[in-house]
Amino acid sequence: MALAAAAARVWGPSRGLGQVGLLVLRRLGARGLARSHPRRQQQQHFSSLDDKPQFPGASAEFIDKLEFIQPNVISGIPIYRVMDRQGQIVNPSEDPHLPQEKVLKFYKSMTLLNTMDRILYESQRQGRISFYMTNYGEEGTHVGSAAALDNTDLVFGQYREAGVLMYRDYPLELFMAQCYGNVSDLGKGRQMPVHYGCQERHFVTISSPLATQIPQAVGAAYAAKRANANRVVICYFGEGAASEGDAHAGFNFAATLECPIIFFCRNNGYAISTPTYEQYRGDGIAARGPGYGILSIRVDGNDVFAVYNATKEARRRAVAENQPFLIEAMTYRIGHHSTSDDSSAYRSVDEVNYWDKQDHPISRLRHYLQGRGWWDDEQEKAWRKQSRRKVMEAFEQAERKLKPNPNLLFSDVYQEMPPQLRKQQESLARHLQTYGEHYPLDHFEK
Amino acid sequence: MAAVPVAACRLLRLRAAGAEGHWRRLRGAGLPRAFLQPPSADADATQRREVAHFTFQPDPEPLEYGQTQKMNLFQAVTSALDNSLAKDPTAVIFGEDVAFGGVFRCTVGLRDKYGKDRVFNTPLCEQGIVGFGIGIAVTGATAIAEIQFADYIFPAFDQIVNEAAKYRYRSGDLFNCGSLTIRSPWGCVGHGALYHSQSPEAFFAHCPGIKVVVPRSPFQAKGLLLSCIEDKNPCIFFEPKILYRAAVEQVPIEPYNIPLSQAEVIQEGSDVTLVAWGTQVHVIREVASMAQEKLGVSCEVIDLRTILPWDVDTVCKYHQPRMGSR
Repeated sequence: MALAAAAARVWGPSRGLGQVGLLVLRRLGARGLARSHPRRQQQQHFSSLDDKPQFPGASAEFIDKLEFIQPNVISGIPIYRVMDRQGQIVNPSEDPHLPQEKVLKFYKSMTLLNTMDRILYESQRQGRISFYMTNYGEEGTHVGSAAALDNTDLVFGQYREAGVLMYRDYPLELFMAQCYGNVSDLGKGRQMPVHYGCQERHFVTISSPLATQIPQAVGAAYAAKRANANRVVICYFGEGAASEGDAHAGFNFAATLECPIIFFCRNNGYAISTPTYEQYRGDGIAARGPGYGILSIRVDGNDVFAVYNATKEARRRAVAENQPFLIEAMTYRIGHHSTSDDSSAYRSVDEVNYWDKQDHPISRLRHYLQGRGWWDDEQEKAWRKQSRRKVMEAFEQAERKLKPNPNLLFSDVYQEMPPQLRKQQESLARHLQTYGEHYPLDHFEK
Repeated sequence: MAAVPVAACRLLRLRAAGAEGHWRRLRGAGLPRAFLQPPSADADATQRREVAHFTFQPDPEPLEYGQTQKMNLFQAVTSALDNSLAKDPTAVIFGEDVAFGGVFRCTVGLRDKYGKDRVFNTPLCEQGIVGFGIGIAVTGATAIAEIQFADYIFPAFDQIVNEAAKYRYRSGDLFNCGSLTIRSPWGCVGHGALYHSQSPEAFFAHCPGIKVVVPRSPFQAKGLLLSCIEDKNPCIFFEPKILYRAAVEQVPIEPYNIPLSQAEVIQEGSDVTLVAWGTQVHVIREVASMAQEKLGVSCEVIDLRTILPWDVDTVCKYHQPRMGSR
């Protein structure tokens, strides 16, 4: 307010700039000075003697040359990596030096997921489950990021993040239960396969609409900040979902409301059949972050250590500084979009094979492990057999279980069952008493 | 224009309907005015902008909830929000322009009282506001989101219908957003035209998983809003904007609850049931009086209050005696 007094002295008590200056400063006072974060200089000080811009909307200098800013897509934001494609550490100072046990957990999580994917994809082909989505090629993005979080950090996913749950030791039985929609499913058999959720492991249940989780994750992060929980929220989405309005909403809210959130974009090259060239024309998703005022990085998503390092640092700072971070993990979707898709309709087998054979997160990590003497072909063979057996056991058990009781059609719509739903539930029960023989009731729990 | 006889007829009808005393102050050709406009000093046919033709009927002062204070509808809303933030330390209020008090003054004083982390502006984005609110509620904190006009709720339709409404069901009750309440100014106001007058409750009326509530008065608004906030399901609370200042009543200062999914029989009758909600309850009351007087028809007037899940029993049970009569 001293500046206001000074301004008034310079311009006198007239209604000209002095008044405007006071208004400007009052705005600054109400919002600028009271802001929690010192790094945000909301506006330069009023100076009537200089010809400086006074607009509240931007902090910038004048320019007298007409120039459009060129979006940089030829040489975009560089891709952070720790290992090369052969699993060799490129810059030793970036090596996270993780202990053997932890790196083996990375490897086993990724490979177990891969094995489960193969078996469940096949089971859909055989008509045993209705639908499935594999995670081929993206296992590194799941495991690297999950490993960098605390177990209690809240996860909002899209649908291709099963490796996060795998890393958090979600049992095979429960993956299968959800895909089969059997009595053991925590979700009570209500959703399509791969719509996992786990309260115990802080993994919010997946929903089909894309990007809806993004502003929700921001809200959860805001609540975590208010609760002084020292928790971060991580929100996964694909480069396609990033085109949704909800993504824009989420980024903007996270920045303006100063939320401890990590936005993790899996840029895998395709949204079903739509390649990235038809999804966006700018420099991917990472380039959007600075537009919102968000610290952003692009990483090699097939390099589990790069993903780990970036997520770890983002987590540390997000919680310490209450601000969002955007990580764009470049990767490749080796599998089809889902069991309802045949990607040979829109991409070449050669392209897919390149990624499968030359740049795969699992083989890169295996090379690293072998290079360290922490893994060999014998162990590989034994683990493949063991993981396959584990998956098959869980699979066979899941098949044998009953489906949930039909009464569960009506509960949890509201916390309490309203009379109209109770009437419908009773009506179904009466109907089944009379016509039950026409329904496969033997497959359902009584 | 036969303004004088028309106006006189209207005055007679209103008098017969047992209208409040202030209407008697209107004389001559003065057109009947909504409660908002003060009666004109000059009694000739000066064209005044007619806002709406209804009389707000206040309810008698409630005696069972302690001390009351004269409040209009927006003040009743402020009172409910104040009570909520005082009781529940996790509760936060957010939306466009709520920080300075809101475009309808519903949040005046709350930011100063409870802090900027609890009453704050969001960017201009309804899908973001509701999505953000769902996220807060998922963690168990109480989220009170404001959509500036019900006309602008549509960008948030996906978040409300596909997400909020289905959160508990689709997760097998592992997760829910029950502590979310969305408040929004609703309904015609006279000059609002297409985009400041809408009543979109019908779009939500068949969406299982959410609750939709519309109050008719300040006393009802505070009790119903408190119930919505405390309800363990996501609720949409539509506030009739024309009543924000026009409706004034004695409203308890302390918190109290009016149950959801319970319609109220405002007036008993035997020939026909009239069901209304929000502003229209007052119009319907007038209509009921006119029907009695002009047609000898005995009308039952019911304020539905909760649109979803609605009180089927109260609305339908009164039909039975009617089946055999006349």
